[in-house]
Amino acid sequence: MKYLLSRLAQALVIVVSIAVVVFFALRLTAGDPARLRAQIFSDESVLDQYRKDFGTDQPLYVQFFRFFGGLLRGDLGTSFRYETPVTGLLGPALLNTVVLGALALLLTFLLASLLGTLAARKPGGVVSGISSVIAVIGQSAPLFWVSLLLISLFSLNLGWFPPGGFEGPQSLVLPVIALTLGLLPSQMRVLNSSVRQELTEDYVRTARAFGLSETRIGFVYIYRNALLPLLTVIGNDMGVLLGGVIVAEVVFNFPGIGSLALTAMNSRDYPLIQGIVICAAAAFVLINLVVDLLYTVINPRVRLGGTR
Amino acid sequence: MTGVPLNWTSRRRSALADRFLLILTAAVLALLILAAVVGPLLLPDPLTQELAARMVPPLTPGHPLGTDALGRDVLSRIVSGSRTSLFVALFGVAGSLLVGTVAGLLAGSSTRWVAWLIDRLIDVQMALPYIILAIIIVSATGPSLGVLVLLMVLAGWPSAARIVRSITMAERAKDYARAAEMIGASGTRVLFRYIGPTVRPVVLTIAPLQASAMIVMEATLSFLGLGVQPPTPSWGGILLEGKPYLATAWWLTTFPGIAIALTAAAMLGLGSSLESVLRRRRTRRAQDGAPAAPDRTEVTDAEAITL
Repeated sequence: MKYLLSRLAQALVIVVSIAVVVFFALRLTAGDPARLRAQIFSDESVLDQYRKDFGTDQPLYVQFFRFFGGLLRGDLGTSFRYETPVTGLLGPALLNTVVLGALALLLTFLLASLLGTLAARKPGGVVSGISSVIAVIGQSAPLFWVSLLLISLFSLNLGWFPPGGFEGPQSLVLPVIALTLGLLPSQMRVLNSSVRQELTEDYVRTARAFGLSETRIGFVYIYRNALLPLLTVIGNDMGVLLGGVIVAEVVFNFPGIGSLALTAMNSRDYPLIQGIVICAAAAFVLINLVVDLLYTVINPRVRLGGTR
Repeated sequence: MTGVPLNWTSRRRSALADRFLLILTAAVLALLILAAVVGPLLLPDPLTQELAARMVPPLTPGHPLGTDALGRDVLSRIVSGSRTSLFVALFGVAGSLLVGTVAGLLAGSSTRWVAWLIDRLIDVQMALPYIILAIIIVSATGPSLGVLVLLMVLAGWPSAARIVRSITMAERAKDYARAAEMIGASGTRVLFRYIGPTVRPVVLTIAPLQASAMIVMEATLSFLGLGVQPPTPSWGGILLEGKPYLATAWWLTTFPGIAIALTAAAMLGLGSSLESVLRRRRTRRAQDGAPAAPDRTEVTDAEAITL
């Protein structure tokens, strides 16, 4: 319990410091959101009105306390561009992004478990060969290029899936495949090497001696133990997943956080950018916390908060 | 951290195969660098627009890889785009390894608060994916080559720092470091003069792996419009410009992608074969006399590549 509290505090510190850094990085540098929002050649009085509405005419410390006060009440401010509360804009986009990311993560996890385990049991075999090829492609071919190729093949030539937008579950297929290919290599590699490590353990020999089937040993006994390093990597890879989701959303024109982020950036929509960054950082930190807590569920021998 | 070999296939590869992969990938990279250096001198100008020859398919005389919507030669654009990519990767890796090594050594320092501070900085940095970081920085400063290099450094240093930190922790417990401390060497001297050199081989093997990831990152940022701006050719930029013609001009989106994947894969192969060649050399040396050193490369785990 004490451990959980200290971890939560640590997570809070990370998110708050990121929020502060982002706030100042945006305000202290060039670019006047009012000028971008107003029509070109607008009168100075129009610009001043916008600045007043945005609050960017106030001194920096006033803006900062306003932003921070809002943050404490769960209010992320009002978007400059859309002129609606940021929280209202983030909600639906976040949901779409989470669905996309979660599906990709799930598919990656299943494939990594299957391929990693099978490849470790038969090094030099067919599965092992296939998974190394997938690993090299996944690491060197950029996600956006893979996405373009998928669109070109499956939607423009074969017409199986829509090339972009969000028209229902079939719109998710191609982005999920592209994301999975990018995430798969590191997870597969880690599971593979930890399965290999486990294969040398005594309990595997004992299980074999008892006449258990190789499939049962591999997927029930070894898998459970080999899962811990994989979890660490999933936590570390959350950044990769988040970045990947943004790219996939842009290429597939998918209405999520990533598309929103790029529009926000182009219009210097400070509150919206801050909201997105805070959400992203919070998601990353929370998922890593959950991963650490899951350790104890999967392997009760792990005691958190002890000797670190 | 759990010790996970960098590349699990390397365990099974023979010494000969490693050497072969090393030479092959080094040769591919040497060719790429040569092309980037002399290519633009031999090829047509990548910015010249030949409006009579727009969207010419590949294998046309004078345009082996075709032309784009403005009649610019695709091969020239890809070759001069490689200059951008290699430049960003080179300076990005140099900066990220420098910052990462210093931060990693300091994180392994015996001064409590320094180590704590660096650890927290690493945490904060890891929680910001490079694309989010790019969105923040580019919306603040506007896109430029310098910003791109800075982004690469920011994206790369935490993974280098974590690896260096774990080596530093292990080294600090060894006799030579304790002896140095005991005769009164200062903390910084022990860290930078005595422990510093021991991390060098590992840092060198991470370099190509980081470079590979940075090639992909640079292309991604340029594709999103956050990196190199048109008309300067860059691999991601050519793909961005070719995207509207996905259905009609396949060559605009195919060739630059192949260039990125090939370069990134060659660097990846170089890194992993370098790692196993070095590991083999170390084991051999250990067998020759001195007590076996712990397999230090074990700490270079997968995160070295997943920035």
